Amino acid sequence: MTQKTALFKVMRGTVIDDQLVQKTQDFTVPYDVTTTVLQALEWIKGELDGTLTFRRSCRASICGSCGMVIDGKSRLACKTKVLDLLEGNIEKNIASVKDGLIMIAPQRNQPVLKDLVVDIEPFYQKVKDIVPFVQDGDEKETTVSKESFGQVNMVSNCIMCGACYSDCTAMVENPDFIGPAALAKAFRFVSDPREGSKTARLQELSKKNGVWDCTRCGMCIDACPKGVAPMEAIVKLRTLAMEKGVRGNKGARHAMSFKDDIATWGVLNEPFMLLKTLRFEVITQTGNALNLIKKGKIPNPFPFEHKVEGLDEVRRIYAELEKNPLDVTTKAADSGPGAG
Amino acid sequence: MGISQNLNYAYYPGCAAKQIQKEADWSARAVSEKLGVSLHDMHGATCCGAGNLQEHDPAAGLAINARIFSQAEEMGMDIVTICNTCLQTFSFANERLKAEPELLEKVNAILVKAGVRPYQGTIDVKHFIWVLIDDVGEETLKKHVVNPLNDLQVAPFYGCHGLRPNEVFNGRGGRLAGPQYMEKLIRIMGGESVDYYGKDKCCGFHYMLLNEKEFLHMSGGHSLEAKNHGAEVMVSPCTLCDMALGAYQSRSEKAMGTKIGLPEMNISQLIGMAYGLDQKTLGLGRLHTDPRPVMKSRGVQII
Repeated sequence: MTQKTALFKVMRGTVIDDQLVQKTQDFTVPYDVTTTVLQALEWIKGELDGTLTFRRSCRASICGSCGMVIDGKSRLACKTKVLDLLEGNIEKNIASVKDGLIMIAPQRNQPVLKDLVVDIEPFYQKVKDIVPFVQDGDEKETTVSKESFGQVNMVSNCIMCGACYSDCTAMVENPDFIGPAALAKAFRFVSDPREGSKTARLQELSKKNGVWDCTRCGMCIDACPKGVAPMEAIVKLRTLAMEKGVRGNKGARHAMSFKDDIATWGVLNEPFMLLKTLRFEVITQTGNALNLIKKGKIPNPFPFEHKVEGLDEVRRIYAELEKNPLDVTTKAADSGPGAG
Repeated sequence: MGISQNLNYAYYPGCAAKQIQKEADWSARAVSEKLGVSLHDMHGATCCGAGNLQEHDPAAGLAINARIFSQAEEMGMDIVTICNTCLQTFSFANERLKAEPELLEKVNAILVKAGVRPYQGTIDVKHFIWVLIDDVGEETLKKHVVNPLNDLQVAPFYGCHGLRPNEVFNGRGGRLAGPQYMEKLIRIMGGESVDYYGKDKCCGFHYMLLNEKEFLHMSGGHSLEAKNHGAEVMVSPCTLCDMALGAYQSRSEKAMGTKIGLPEMNISQLIGMAYGLDQKTLGLGRLHTDPRPVMKSRGVQII
């Protein structure tokens, strides 16, 4: 029986005179049902081209070293099987994929040092910036309930592989954004009962490049090989910040404008939402407004024609929740080491 | 999984389609009429909260969504929407209310006290493009094409909240290797689907107010990339993506200092054209970059 082969198109890269020069190189690699992308790359390095450079260590999706872009998505090479890619068993970005080929490239949003190796220093620095340890302070609790682990379990699984950072859409336009991994880590400390400085953390995280600069695109949830779901942690940080009274920013004002609109009009009142969010800065929207007016796209600030039936029900729901607050926080199951 | 029968749906267009992006609503209704899909208005349905109410007050978010689900349930129908953010917001809530009986009970207790019918957890929330491919079916969709798009190069833009997270959409979301709703619809109408990196990325809509410059570069970048890959028009299944990529395109051009000029419209408008619906019904005049010249040059009739 002849051995099956797959065509790998690998993005090679070298820095020459401070300039990154990249080109793809083709390799034909034998595989069977068990072959991972990492094994294929090691075979290339051993048999065809010893200069191919990539990081790897544990081969068991624990160390997070072999993060790279495989068929258009950030993944771990050790956790991705060649057969699954070829047979379409796993998600791919079909825009960058041709049938029968496997495309390998370095992670995005980080400078390439050589071939598939990127400079992970900026990524690590952002994690350091959020102060990744429990701090002393007034808000410290000394009793740690088993339930409190429900909040930190999921984010504790992070192996710092950078997949979320690489696929983050906000990072593309704003390289100063703290990013999904560091924000998920920040959530882990904010929700730790032993943390003494929760409110101060939330104030810091509500500033520019923090929780409100996420696009909510969900790429990080799908990219994470360990089920950390960073975007869900970012959303929870936003909720906690507003709960703790950290509301003096555009992001919080925008989020908070919906509740009253729903009870008053039933629909979102866009002109007033703008005013509530931006306040005097609403004047900066003149150009955008004039552009929308050209095609009659300015919504009525008094949308009586869309008034919804039964809004008294909504007001009663709010009143009931005011009287009997409901804890609806999601809890992650005790996933244990190596989950995801 | 759902309760709708004989192509009857509780129609939830979303706030954008009621106000700024009316043309998407008109087109979805007109296309549905052609196909025998009945969209029933939900007179008591409020804004879904768009994820914002859910961030501010998660309990209120769930209760407001459960109230809307209960209305659809009483109508005996699943919800169909043309806004990705409504789809995702509802899907998050519906998934939890169905999977966590204790939570459903607590939320229902609030609804009952407020005089609202409790939600039984039976409805499904669908995107209009899922209804077209999964419920109407390709054969019926094909039958109504009277004005084929003659290989018009169409770039699909999916929009995040119809794709991710994968889990909440029961396989109908981000598995791009699986159900390819947009590509199929474009091909059925006689167009050619253009591939480009940005097609499953973010339009930036939910980023617009806080990071205007970044938003304009993000959305404009996708349009430019699609155009460079040969796209003549771009279509999206989401009213918010339509706004970001279409209505704001000239703002992106200004911010980026480059011309884009890629007409963007809602997928229902494109289907409507292939179905021979007239431009007024489809609201083509409300689009900031006019798709008619390039479609005419492909021999597509403008009625």
